[in-house]
Parts: sequence; structure tokens; C-alpha cells
Amino acid sequence: MKILGISAFYHDAAAALTIDGLPVAAVQEERLSRSKNDPAFPLRAITWCLDHAALEPEDLDAVIFYERPALKFDRVLMTLLRGFPQSWRIFPQAMKNMVGEKLWVRGIISAQLGVPAKRIHFTDHHLSHAAAAFLTAPTQQAAILTADGVGEWATLTVGQARKRSGGPAEISLLREVHFPHSLGLFYSAFTAWLGFPVNEGEYKVMGLAAYGTPRFAGEVRHMLHRTRDGAFALDLGYFDHHRAADAAYSHRFVELFGPPRDRFEPIDPTTPQGRHYADVAASAQCVLEEVIVDIATALRRETGLSDLCLGGGVALNGVANARILRASSFERLFVPPAPGDAGCALGAALWADRILFGQPHRDCPDHPFWGPAVVPTDLARLAAEDGLSCERVGEAELMDRLVDAIGRGAIVGWMEGAAEFGPRALGHRSILADPGDAAMRDRINRDIKFRESFRPFAPVVPADHAETFFELPPGGARLGRFMSGVFPVRPEWRDRLRAVTHVDGTARVQMLEAAMAPRLHALLMAYGRRHGLPVLLNTSFNLAGDPIVTSAAEGYSTFRRAGLDLLVAEDLIVRRDPARQDHSLEAMA
Amino acid sequence: MIRWRAPIDRMVWADPRRRARKLMQFAEVEAQGARDLFRAAEVTPDPHLRRRLFAHARDEVRHAALFRARGLALRRTLADPGPDRALGDGLIPGERGFDRLEVEKESMAALLAFIHLSERAAAHAFAAYGAVLGHDPETRAVIARIARDEEGHMRYSRAELARLAPDQGRRALWIARLRRLWRAYLRLALILADLISRLILTLVYFLLLAPFAWMAKRSARRQAPGWRACVDRSRDGGGGQY
Ligand SMILES: [Fe+2]
Ligand SMILES: [Fe+2]
Ligand SMILES: [Fe+2]
Repeated sequence: MKILGISAFYHDAAAALTIDGLPVAAVQEERLSRSKNDPAFPLRAITWCLDHAALEPEDLDAVIFYERPALKFDRVLMTLLRGFPQSWRIFPQAMKNMVGEKLWVRGIISAQLGVPAKRIHFTDHHLSHAAAAFLTAPTQQAAILTADGVGEWATLTVGQARKRSGGPAEISLLREVHFPHSLGLFYSAFTAWLGFPVNEGEYKVMGLAAYGTPRFAGEVRHMLHRTRDGAFALDLGYFDHHRAADAAYSHRFVELFGPPRDRFEPIDPTTPQGRHYADVAASAQCVLEEVIVDIATALRRETGLSDLCLGGGVALNGVANARILRASSFERLFVPPAPGDAGCALGAALWADRILFGQPHRDCPDHPFWGPAVVPTDLARLAAEDGLSCERVGEAELMDRLVDAIGRGAIVGWMEGAAEFGPRALGHRSILADPGDAAMRDRINRDIKFRESFRPFAPVVPADHAETFFELPPGGARLGRFMSGVFPVRPEWRDRLRAVTHVDGTARVQMLEAAMAPRLHALLMAYGRRHGLPVLLNTSFNLAGDPIVTSAAEGYSTFRRAGLDLLVAEDLIVRRDPARQDHSLEAMA
Repeated sequence: MIRWRAPIDRMVWADPRRRARKLMQFAEVEAQGARDLFRAAEVTPDPHLRRRLFAHARDEVRHAALFRARGLALRRTLADPGPDRALGDGLIPGERGFDRLEVEKESMAALLAFIHLSERAAAHAFAAYGAVLGHDPETRAVIARIARDEEGHMRYSRAELARLAPDQGRRALWIARLRRLWRAYLRLALILADLISRLILTLVYFLLLAPFAWMAKRSARRQAPGWRACVDRSRDGGGGQY
């Protein structure tokens, strides 16, 4: 069967195509439209997926949307009614939003693709998250935990699932927590109060938390308290997401923690004010972890299963993930490379195949590379037109040159094969650099990422060498496969891994299996042979405010704008024109 | 052109809060303009034009930084900088930069004509603001410096248009002019439609919703927070939006 999954209209739209039960293509709309977190109907992504498989829309057996729009409308309307009469301010906007576009998904899909309406299906938002986590994971039986801001009504679900290659798959969600009680929206309120954009800045809160101590944990436990049945509830007096469209925290929140941070002014965690923000962040992070670890522990006891599949935006919190692994007594934790709503496009397609249409399960390849491939000849043409040195070199020599250059402080743009699906660069669209040079970290933060100096970079290490440098709990290597866990750097290596070690001595490390990205793995090994440790700084290949690069032209443009030293696309290597000073303020764009 | 609007400009730029806010907004517009131009450079097949667009984009990046730095400096002198935004975005056409350039959808001639006109509008607007900023020489210096660049952008985009589309240049400019007018009209129409729909929906809210609100609140009171059983909707054949 040929099934197209779509996720759209909220944040970070995406499309995914499965054929005979296996993923064939998946890409976020932003990677093609070049507009970050593009929520629009993902026509470019859909078109690319179909072209990639040489299909026309009429060849599709089914199209599945990742959630139920009318049920979502029910929640929005009910929330407005319950907020009567204070909700009058947001009522017109909310209605126009829903009725304007979001409610007519079947019609939009049918009109845009020319697919008959009866081939268009819907599933539950959290089932999409669960399917994205479970059906892609190499496990036969697992407990399921999904948590995000909100789907239709559910904000968190627990359940269990089983599958067998060639046999049936089954996902049953047992219980859920409903809006407005939400771990994701709880965290977003702190994100907003700390002056970061909601839905994007959550990982900044996590990074900032490492600078603080959770001295407000007691207060925060009142805001997010446990219910007697083991779930949780928000004290809605502190929040505004159930009353207003664009507000997350209330006056009472401000009375408790002080005025929100001015988003235009930098945070300096060494000042008292900066420490205050860090302490608040640490308190929110700490309580989030307590609640989710507790729910996971109870789920482990209830199901008796040793594997846990984690989905939803909250699963992007690598610190919480690592704590679940350490504390909940699950032996393995599976977080997909795209646990957020974009990943639901793939989750929904797989759910439709296995469960809606009852097709036998087939094990999915365990990697994130489902996007458009880079075309090195495009890069060769661009470089030649601009008179830059550009060479094709054999693998051994390429590795040799890169190892040498990175050792001398070069920053490398690295493009290979198909682009990653999901928010993280996992080895095909990366910026690579020396992990031991703090000045380098500052240069990348300032000139390329134009971001707060308190944010750490991630290291990448071959999976079988990870234990040498990082303290991993059992099962840690799996969590590190897609950079989903934050682990302590061994103290004796912290100095040599300065640029990738966070202030609290941890790192969000990717543990790379050779089979997943053989060339990057070879580069790491070569780097290790020359410089003593097979670790590189790995950050996504994009400038501040841009989505990760997809094509050679975007890679080339970013290479020029960011003043990178080398650009590699497969076996092609382009060198920066040494006569021209390319670093400039423009990283601010 | 400049003289008639001077009193309005003077009024707009007199208030330091608004001045700071406008500068920060300009910084965002310039940064977005830079992104659009980098994108245009990525997709153009002509190497010479690509280099020009690239250089232009870098100028806009610099403008964003200048506006931002000045806006921040001004902001720090204020006891209370006020909200980030006034009603809507409050920008007039000359301040909108390229106003969501749809790079991939345009022909190069249309794109260049559009860039030319946008830069021209920006150059005019900035010249006018310089004239009323006598009381704030620092902001004035920043704006004057940027206005000079915008004139350069105006010239190169016209020259490139003549080079790449010698016989379509005039036509492209006229079409771009009409489209800018059309966009301005659409924006006004949308604001009006928004106001009307707001009014109607607010009336609906107060006239019709009260009894439903009462029922919704009653049902909410009966629901304690905590776990709920999941409803199995898979038996509907995946058809339902509910
Ligand atoms: Fe979600
Ligand atoms: Fe400019
Ligand atoms: Fe300009």
C-alpha cells in the first residue's frame, strides 16, 4: 500500500510516504520552503515525497492526517465556553483560526492533491506520536508514553504496544490527561516568561536550567501538583493558556517569580538577575522530571515491560529522558529522531498501514535519513562560478585533509546523502569542529548561530567509544542514537571536550553506529587516530533563524555567509577563499 | 513627497518608546529581507546576479544589526519600554522591505523590479525620517547611513533588470508597482474585514453563547483532573474527523 501521512497547521508541518509498510520519504515543509517551523499545508513536502517515489497523487491508496480536526475544534470551543465571559477577547481570533482553515482539512487535502475524499483518513494526535515512537523502534513489545503541549484533548497518554515482524501490530493507549493540564504547556509558560519563543525556545530553558539550582521547586510543585490517581494537574491560577491565545502565564505567575525577562536583553547567568532566571528554569525542569519519571515508573510497574517508547514534544527534553532511563527502571528507552508534531506525519502513515489497514508489520530501517539528497555536482558548479577551489578526492585523502584541518581549528560544513527528518542534525547536514576548543565554541555561537553563550554544543562519538568519554547508564547508547539524552562527560575528559561540555559537566551526545552514517563514522575514527579522541563538535548546518540546509545551494550559501572554512558534499570539498574575510556580522540574519 | 508627510513623521518619531520599537521592528524587517535575498541568490542561475544579490543581502544583514544596536541603546534609556508591538505591526509600505518576497514563484525580472521598488520606497522613507530626527542625532546618523545603501540597492537592481531583461524592464516595473498597490489595498481590506468579523463574532459570543457556556461550565465542574480512559476511535475506519 502507498500511504501519505500529513502533519500541518500548528507548527512545523511535514509529509511522509510509506510504501508496503516501509518509509520511503519524509521531510518537514520548512526544509523546502526555507521558512523556519513553517506550519502551512506542506504542499512542497508532499510534492517532493511523491516525486521521490515517482508517484502521482492518484496512485496513493490513502492519505492520513495526524489528528482529528473536529475534535480539536471541540476542545477549542469548549475552552472558550468554559472561559466565558473572560474569553471574549480571544473568541473571534480562535474562531477565525479554526473555521478559516484548520477545520476543513479533508477538503483542503482533497482539493490540493485531487485525491477522492473517501481515501482521506484521520487518527488521534497522540496515537500518531505513539506510532512514530513505537513502529519505528527495534523492539517487539514496549510501554508507551507520549507527552506534548496538546493534541485534540489529550496532552499525555500512557499505553502499551506489541508487534512482530510479518505479524500484526497493536497499540493500545490506556489512559490520558486532558487539556488544560499539560506538561508541555507547563514548560512553555516558563519558556515564555524567560523571553524565549514558545515551541522553539524550550531547549533554551533546559540549557539555562543547568546554571541554576531548583530553589523554587516547592512553589513549582504547587503549580504542577500530583493527583491522587498518579496523574497531575496544573493550578490554573498560574497559567493563561486556557484563557488567552497568546499568553502562557498569568499575573499570579508574575507575582511569584517577578516580571518576565526582557527578550531583547541577553541573559547573563553570572549576575543575580541571570541566576534568578536560571533558578526558575532549574525548578521547572526539576519538577517536570519528577512528574514524568514518576509516571514512567508507575507504567513500568503496571505493564511489566522493559522497553519504553517515548513520543511527543516533551521527549525532546534530553535531560528528562536521561533521568527516566536512570530512575524508572526501564531498561531501554526509544525516542524517535522526530518526536514532535512533524514526526506525526510518519507516525500516522505507519499507524494507517499497520492498524487501520491491518497490514503485517515490517521492521523500519533505524535511521532518520528520509529527506532530499545532496547533489555534489550542483555544488561544484556554484563553486566554479565563484572561482573557489573545489576538488573531488578519494575517501582516505578526504578524511586525512579534514582531520588535519579540524585539528588546526577549521570549521567544516558537512553534507551527505539524504537529509534528516526531525529537528536534529544527525550526521548528514552538520557543522563539525574541534570539540576541545572553547574559543571555537564562542566563534560558532557568535558568528554562526548568533545565540546565547550559555547554550552548549553537542558532541558526536562512535557508539563503541562512547563509554570512554561519557558516563552512560545501561541503555544509554540507544538513547544517544538520535541525540535524545544528556549524559555526564567523564571528569578526566572535560577539559579536552571543553567546547561540548555544558556548565554542569554534561553533554547531549550522539552515539553513532557505523552502519547509520559510515562516512562520518570513518571521519571520527580518523580524527581519533590522529588527535587521540574520536569526538567532534556537531551542530546543525544552518544559520540562526534558518531551517537546516537541504540542498547543495543552501549549504554553499550558508558556508559563505557563516565564513566556514571547508564545505564537503559527499566526496567534493570546497575551500573558503583565504583572500576574502568572510566572517561578518551577517550571521545575525 | 517628503514635505507633506513631515508633520506625521515628526509625530511618529517624537516619542522615544515608539522610536525604539520602530527601530527594533526595522531590524526584523531587514533581517527577513536579508533571508529573502540569500534565498534569491541560492536560486538564481546567473552567477553575476547571484553575487550582487549576495552582497545586497549582506548589506541588509548589516542594516539589521545597526537598527538593532541603535534600538537597543535607545530602549535602555527608557524606564519602561512598553509592549513590543502596537496594534497590528503599524508598518507603512516603505518600511516593509520586500514584504514576504516569494522568491521561487517569481521570474527574475519580476523579482528585480520588486526589489527596485521596495528599495526606492525604503530610501524615500528613510530620507524623510532623517529630516525629522534633528533631536536624536545618533538615530539620524544610523538612518542616514542605511538610506545611502538603499539608494545603491535601488541602482544596482535597476541595472541588473536592464541587463537581464532588456525589453521587459519597464513592463516588469509597472506590474510590480501595481502589485505593491494591490498588496496595500489587500492589507487595508483585510484589516477592515478583520474588524467587521471581530465585531460580528463578539456579538455572537455575547448573544448566543451564554447558555452553552453555562452548560460547559457545569460539565467541567463534574470532571476532576487526573487520568481518563482513552476512547478507542479506531473502529470508525479512520474516517472520522471526530
Ligand atoms: Fe503533539
Ligand atoms: Fe536595508
Ligand atoms: Fe536595501
